[in-house]
Amino acid sequence: MKNSMRSSTGRRRVPAAVALGAVLALTATACGDDGSGSGGSGGAEGSGKGKITFWDNNGGVRTDIWKEIIADFEKANPDIDVEYVGIASTEYQSKVDTAIQGGGLPDVGGVGAAMLAGFAAQDALEPLDDRLAGSPLDGRLNEDMVESLKAAGGGDGTLYSVPTSANNGVLYYRTDLFEKAGLKEPSTWDAFYEAAEKLTDAGANKFGYTIRGGAGSIAQALDAMYGQSGITSFWNADGKQTTVNDPKNVEALEKYAALYKKVTPAADLNNDFTKMVAQWDSGTIGMLNHNLGSFQDHVKAFGEDKFRGIPQPAGPGGKRVQVSNPVDGLGVFKNSKNKEAAWKFIEFALSHEENSKFNRSAGQVPANLEAAEDAWISESEPTKLAAQALTDGSTTIVQLPYYLPDWNTISKADNEPNFQKVLLGKMSAKEFLDTVAEQLNEAQAEWDEQKG
Amino acid sequence: MITKEATPAAPAAERAAPAPPHPAKRHRPAWDEVPRWQIYLPLGVYLVFTLIPFYWILLFSLRPAGSTSLVPWPVTFDHFEKVWTERSFGTYFGNSVLVGVATLVMTTLVALAGGYALARFDFRIKRGFMLALLCSQFVPGALLLVPLFEIFANLQMINSLGSVILAETVFQLPLSMILISNFIKNVPYSLEEAAWVDGCGRLRAFRIVVLPLLRPGIIAVGSFAFVHSWNHFLFALMFLNNQSKQTIPVGLNTLMSADSVDLGALAAGGIIAAVPVVIVFAFIQKWLITGFSAGAVKG
Repeated sequence: MKNSMRSSTGRRRVPAAVALGAVLALTATACGDDGSGSGGSGGAEGSGKGKITFWDNNGGVRTDIWKEIIADFEKANPDIDVEYVGIASTEYQSKVDTAIQGGGLPDVGGVGAAMLAGFAAQDALEPLDDRLAGSPLDGRLNEDMVESLKAAGGGDGTLYSVPTSANNGVLYYRTDLFEKAGLKEPSTWDAFYEAAEKLTDAGANKFGYTIRGGAGSIAQALDAMYGQSGITSFWNADGKQTTVNDPKNVEALEKYAALYKKVTPAADLNNDFTKMVAQWDSGTIGMLNHNLGSFQDHVKAFGEDKFRGIPQPAGPGGKRVQVSNPVDGLGVFKNSKNKEAAWKFIEFALSHEENSKFNRSAGQVPANLEAAEDAWISESEPTKLAAQALTDGSTTIVQLPYYLPDWNTISKADNEPNFQKVLLGKMSAKEFLDTVAEQLNEAQAEWDEQKG
Repeated sequence: MITKEATPAAPAAERAAPAPPHPAKRHRPAWDEVPRWQIYLPLGVYLVFTLIPFYWILLFSLRPAGSTSLVPWPVTFDHFEKVWTERSFGTYFGNSVLVGVATLVMTTLVALAGGYALARFDFRIKRGFMLALLCSQFVPGALLLVPLFEIFANLQMINSLGSVILAETVFQLPLSMILISNFIKNVPYSLEEAAWVDGCGRLRAFRIVVLPLLRPGIIAVGSFAFVHSWNHFLFALMFLNNQSKQTIPVGLNTLMSADSVDLGALAAGGIIAAVPVVIVFAFIQKWLITGFSAGAVKG
């Protein structure tokens, strides 16, 4: 039987040529760069009117409050429309990175300290120093937060993101369990260790503390180390060698890691914040280190009268040292065709009323100084104490090197498995910290070299 | 170029008869000779391990926020109501259904056409083409993200469900075509020839004679395409911006913030995401098993 597909060569070539042409045309259009991809070169100041797109870097839980702020903004600026795109925090970096390479960046977006260096290095962000200097916001934002974002932006002191809020490490503890056991507030590290031990009854599935052994473990361990050692700087005097593996920090980590399984559940080895918070909220654990963000989850679990959230315990000589939490902020992307409208939106979102509204919902410390004085702050104890810790000089904040492009890799993928080995006793605290220090020193040297 | 037809598979009767069992081979007990506990105990243990996580999700979704009870009592549907209305899961669900069904239809149609060509025609680059299809399975979607993003951006398809449907279909096609071609190879060529003799064209003969025999294969390929596109996260995350266009997996992801997670809502969202897949599998499992095993061992 003859195959019906056996036709003349000409008949077969026509569809093949059409298909080939279509593929080439598609490839050509795909390769044609309109300036929207890779870094920023195609942006414009724009008319200050029309539509802008806003990408929220913590979409989902914050969607409602951002929509409220956007509605207020559109009411105040009827000639500007804001399209809101909520993106989950875990996926934000990859989405922005893809858009930097492939095009499609928004006009304005959330840019926190932890991601700032990467975006700035790809030349995706608009410098905002001049805009801030000429804005009513100048002098009305928390200077420490502004400086923190400047430092995180790549080291040249340029401001690429305007701070909206700060988070802070909090030690949550169950007041009812403490009262029952006759324990005092864990405001010092000694009191913390004593309470962790006394509240533990492993046979009855009761534990004094829950440690973070999974994703995000390094930042929490650093907080515990510097808090106990009292070392106040991440780098030594010449700025080339990290203090991470200082003998005092090694000793502190040994003591902290020894808590695992002694006063914590064995399952803590794989704890990310979700599991850790869920575990604490189940009600049989005495203390938890997290930040202000989970406060509302604990209120839902226990009500407001069964727990408190206080800053980290004080170390030697009553001095409290904490490591910095990433400051969150808003940035204008360089490719925006309407930078004027994008900046108007940032100015509006950071105004007293709107910044206060946002932070009250998020339970964080406002960047707007007037908002930080609002009454709701004193009603939310953990936020009030965190705000005090960040502003009243009682606490020294060790600034983590968010500006290093390798920081995220070093503090997460490269070393979290090793921290689990430390918890399991398969690696010494010294060996672990020496490895981290070596990587950090190398990254710092590379960064110094690039800066010239 | 295409020059000749493939040789139909040899009839089963012509194949060599199976060798007699080896005399020294140990006697295998028949099903009814095995003590029941030896079957049900391991299955039961396996079932418990499988079901506990599902029970846990159900528990979190049905008990009130803050409850630590191990049974979902008192039952509340607040979490479902919250995710469906406040967190737009109603919209996400509709979008996921649209993406899943469209991917299923497009994948099945193109796989049938492509699979038929692979099964019934010999052409010069056929082996290379089959190899390329297989090799395409080794390329992760994430690797092609930026080029795909650029292509869809240039085609003005970013923020359109069409981009996700197209990308999902393209990624489903290689495996689907290979599976369908194996099924078609198992349909005797003489059946089609008989239809041609009776006056059917190739398309009509395919539709009337071959297609009904491909039901297990079509169900296997279609359900695989649906379930994969239903669960797939990456393309929807990258190609869709507007909340009204997003799909269930992206919606689930937004239930976890950087510092806080509503476990009740997350569990309810997980149940909503799982139910259609469970229903699909419950209805098609008989054909699915037939389909995959037939496609795997023949051809």
